[in-house]
Amino acid sequence: MNELLTLTGLGLFSMIAEIFNFRKAIFPVIVLGLLGLLGLCYMDWGSYNSTVTHFSMMKVDNFSIAFTSVLTATALFWFMMSRSFFEDQTSMSDHFSLVLFALTGAFCLTSFTNITMLFLGVEVLSLPVYVLTGSRKRDVASNEASFKYFLMGSFASAVFLFGTAFIYGATGSFNLENIATYLSTQPQLSPLFLVGLLLMLSAMAFKVGAAPFHFWTPDVYEGAPTIVTAFMSTIVKTAAVAAFFRLFYLSFSGIHGEYADIIWAMAALTMVVGNVIAAAQNNVKRILAYSSVGHAGFMLITILVMNDFAAKSLLYYTAAYSAAGIAAFLVLYLVGSANNGETPLNAFDGLVKRNPIMAGTMTMALLSMAGIPPLAGFFAKYFIFVSAVENGYIGLVVIAILSSLVGVYYYFKIIIAMFFGKPDNLPTYFLTPIHRFLLLFVAAIIVLTGLFPDFVMGLMTI
Amino acid sequence: MILLQSLNSSRDFLPILLMFIVAAGFVSFVMVVTQWLGPKHKSKVKADSFECGIEQIGNARSPFSIKYFLVAILFVLFDVEVIFMYPWAVNFKSLGAIGMFEMFTFIAFLLIGFFYILKKGALKWD
Repeated sequence: MNELLTLTGLGLFSMIAEIFNFRKAIFPVIVLGLLGLLGLCYMDWGSYNSTVTHFSMMKVDNFSIAFTSVLTATALFWFMMSRSFFEDQTSMSDHFSLVLFALTGAFCLTSFTNITMLFLGVEVLSLPVYVLTGSRKRDVASNEASFKYFLMGSFASAVFLFGTAFIYGATGSFNLENIATYLSTQPQLSPLFLVGLLLMLSAMAFKVGAAPFHFWTPDVYEGAPTIVTAFMSTIVKTAAVAAFFRLFYLSFSGIHGEYADIIWAMAALTMVVGNVIAAAQNNVKRILAYSSVGHAGFMLITILVMNDFAAKSLLYYTAAYSAAGIAAFLVLYLVGSANNGETPLNAFDGLVKRNPIMAGTMTMALLSMAGIPPLAGFFAKYFIFVSAVENGYIGLVVIAILSSLVGVYYYFKIIIAMFFGKPDNLPTYFLTPIHRFLLLFVAAIIVLTGLFPDFVMGLMTI
Repeated sequence: MILLQSLNSSRDFLPILLMFIVAAGFVSFVMVVTQWLGPKHKSKVKADSFECGIEQIGNARSPFSIKYFLVAILFVLFDVEVIFMYPWAVNFKSLGAIGMFEMFTFIAFLLIGFFYILKKGALKWD
């Protein structure tokens, strides 16, 4: 509850701050507020595990606290990274308040116990992101991305509601606990329920960006301003996957056999499609967009396995992926803003000579995403594979390993360009202190979470 | 309450089918009867589109000022949000002090939004 109030209050503050000429105060207040939110998470951690609040709408348990911490830390990095981008624009406070409201939605998505709250969270998260995607008003690509995302997203929301209606019709409840009880007492599942389950599964897969519902991802990620893409591929993805996991963990885990094959196929398809198509791209932004589709596939494996260890490894995976994503997109943004917003592969040629910090952190982030030990991404994949093998999904793990090998290929394409490309007529970069600090800090996080994986995993113990 | 367990025989859907037949029947009946009974006078004035009784000028597809859309959207927004107050008012007594506090919070959010709109100049016409 306190977390929700803090986020909403921050959002409202930054919305009206510009009117009262507090423009200078917005950024420090947001940073302090988010730090305070992390403090609240720390205090709440482990303290109330089973209290369902708000008329059985929300439960702030360790799952939600752990994911909220990851989201808040990512948001903190995101604000540090995007300050310079939005300061040039007239409506900085609008953008910041939209992001904070999206975070409020993300918090709802990690702590719901009721489908109503899940839907509210999805909408509160998505609507600001639709607007943010189109925040370069004069850019046709940005407008197109925003419009596409809005149309597809509202369609997915409609499918979600349709599924909810079917499930309500079958079980008579929106409450996840009641649905789980209904499922455990029912000898024969009503076909109505299965239709609802399938519709909800599709809608959540859309929000996560899993194949075959991934078609919006590359276009929207490419068209949106790079800063917003960073937000979408880290925070929105983490929140959506956490919600997906929580929904299935709390209510549908009793009938795991009914949908396991679908998620198996979806995860395999997502990993293969994301990684193979990414290998064929020449634009770094599109490579990262398709790779984020591939990462969604790895995250889906945890929903297939569905036990406590899977929840822990999902947390670790999202944390590792968010850190790497923030670093990679920050470098991408810096490279793109010196190059008219274009990010072809040859814009990275010889980056190591032009700015070693940027090239070093980018290499770190890409190696982590590729899953090279001892970086965070390696253990993230390792834990997911272990949990999958323990539950007998060896075939899926083979597919996952093969597709992450394809991933190594295209991540190294960027790294090779950075280290061995010839930097003819390309600008050198001068980092602002805040960006330099952020790059070094995130690189340190990627290494440290790789060296001490137990710390992040331990956040989840109940 | 489990809705669909009692609805497993097709007999239970008979009222719905009847409703469909009545609805479709009424529509087609009225349409046929008006065609049949009504007098027919065809003239240019009659075929014109009705615009507040004023003679129409030019094409209907002319660009409108974006301000109309803004005002319309804002109107819909606040209008819809006021709807939330009806169920609240009906349950006012049973919700008690918490319900009142919740509604005050809601109205405070609404007012902050309204204030934001005013200060951003969304309702300024010039």
